[in-house]
Amino acid sequence: MTAELLRIEKLGKSYRSRERQVDALTGIDLAVREGEFVSVVGPSGCGKTTLLKIVAGLVPATAGEVVLGGRRVTEPPADLAVVFQEYGRSLFAWKTVRQNVELPLRHHVGRAERRALVADALDAVGLGAAAGAYPWQLSGGMQQRVAIARAIAYRPKLLLMDEPFSAVDAQTRGDLEDLLAQLWHRYAMTVLFVTHDIDEAVYLSQRVVVLGTGTTGVQAQIPIDLPAERDQLGTRSSAHFGELRAQVYARVRRTPRPSTPELLERVAP
Amino acid sequence: MRAGGPLARGAAGAGLALGLPAALLALWWVASAGSTNIFLPPLRVIVEAFGRVWLSGTFADDVVPSLWRLGASYGAALVVGVVAGYAIGRWPVARALTSPLLAYFRVLPAPVMIPVLLVAVGIGDATKLIVIGLGALWPILLNTADGVRAVDEVQLETAAAFRLPVWTRHRLTLRAATPQIFAGARQALGISIIVMVVSEMLMSTDGLGFTVTQFQRSFAIPEMWSGVLLIGALGFALAKLFELVERRALRWHRGHTGREEPS
Ligand SMILES: Nc1ncnc2c1ncn2[C@@H]1O[C@H](COP(=O)(O)OP(=O)(O)OP(=O)(O)O)[C@@H](O)[C@H]1O
Ligand SMILES: [Mg+2]
Repeated sequence: MTAELLRIEKLGKSYRSRERQVDALTGIDLAVREGEFVSVVGPSGCGKTTLLKIVAGLVPATAGEVVLGGRRVTEPPADLAVVFQEYGRSLFAWKTVRQNVELPLRHHVGRAERRALVADALDAVGLGAAAGAYPWQLSGGMQQRVAIARAIAYRPKLLLMDEPFSAVDAQTRGDLEDLLAQLWHRYAMTVLFVTHDIDEAVYLSQRVVVLGTGTTGVQAQIPIDLPAERDQLGTRSSAHFGELRAQVYARVRRTPRPSTPELLERVAP
Repeated sequence: MRAGGPLARGAAGAGLALGLPAALLALWWVASAGSTNIFLPPLRVIVEAFGRVWLSGTFADDVVPSLWRLGASYGAALVVGVVAGYAIGRWPVARALTSPLLAYFRVLPAPVMIPVLLVAVGIGDATKLIVIGLGALWPILLNTADGVRAVDEVQLETAAAFRLPVWTRHRLTLRAATPQIFAGARQALGISIIVMVVSEMLMSTDGLGFTVTQFQRSFAIPEMWSGVLLIGALGFALAKLFELVERRALRWHRGHTGREEPS
């Protein structure tokens, strides 16, 4: 059993403005061990992005706490990288691919080591040849690879990903999933992966966390005991994959969907 | 276009851009050739006057001071406008504090300040510098503020998550806002040329605007016309120069927004 890397305790978040309050998260408890690959699934609006942003130290929690590597998170922690869904918006369009990947290292790592890290990360995502290109000269899938390379070059202990593959086509998506699985093995990272695609969560993870809407907290944590070596065709067509998938699906379905009056209540004045 | 080389395209573009002005000049030349109206002299006479007036000491005495004032004021407006606009776009408090003031000054035409400054500062260079600078300031400041405000949240969060130093984050925000900043700077360039000429016409002892008014007062009509032509040509050249810089600086933006094919 490896050590615990991330602990989320009784975490809550309400967005307050003058005229209304939205309870995005309540009573979330979750622990992630070093080297684990954990996916978070749940219906749209259940607070997945909010959870990720709190872990990344980008948004303050309103209740409970997040502890990463023994330290309470109050600002963006070191050893943590984020890949957002909107690759087109998270890359800097006036910088080349190499400059984008290099940027986070500029202030932490010396020049020679930096060059090696960037080259290694670009090779790892298969973009060694595109280092001099600008993001807008690349396809969507390639742009997301740049964002992944930027995260990897940073050598994070914890990699956070918010629906990173939901904006690319199915073929590219499969390729990127396999790339991610391979990178996870190679760089021994811990990954917290948000998706609303149950198949994707089961295929990639060691554990799937089902988030309920708003006030219900974590609905279920389902261990994925598929063999470590997975492939798109074999794994996805195996009987056990189907069982696990059904299991997660049932828990997501059973998640109480907020009724309209309840929604209105949550958005109480 | 069949011959699609960049050179051929550039030449064709220049031909198109210069074709109409050339045709109009030719028309003017022919139509005015026999003119006896002293207020509308033949273009030939104007061109002669142009060589006589501007390719001589007048250039150093009058064109250089104008350009110097324009450059100094525009440069200062650029620096102040971008810095203040950045602060206003970035910090809601700064925005709340300044927005009534900005709403007022943005509609106040800069030349209105001339009489006020004449009394307060006097007829020296300072007044002209201030008026030109004020005219240029608002479009730069307001566009910078808008641009900074509109910088993508995802970019800011990316920068924060990777713990980039504060100065790097400010620089990235400013860079992301450059398309808007350039739009403001382009507008400001046009305004500052107008204000430069007007202020020199009203209160000056040298400069392009002053010289044109002087010629008009002494009934040197062809010389006056040559000044008008020179001011037009100057504005045109400055606008082209600006465009050149902008094209280089914002290549990424055209690519990013799909207005330039990937090379
Ligand atoms: N900045 C904000 N201000 C106010 N309310 C917000 C803000 N961000 C999110 N919310 C609200 O919090 C709730 C959770 O949002 P969040 O984006 O975390 O959900 P999500 O699970 O990521 O949804 P999706 O699957 O659609 O991405 C939603 O009801 C949303 O409207
Ligand atoms: Mg989301």
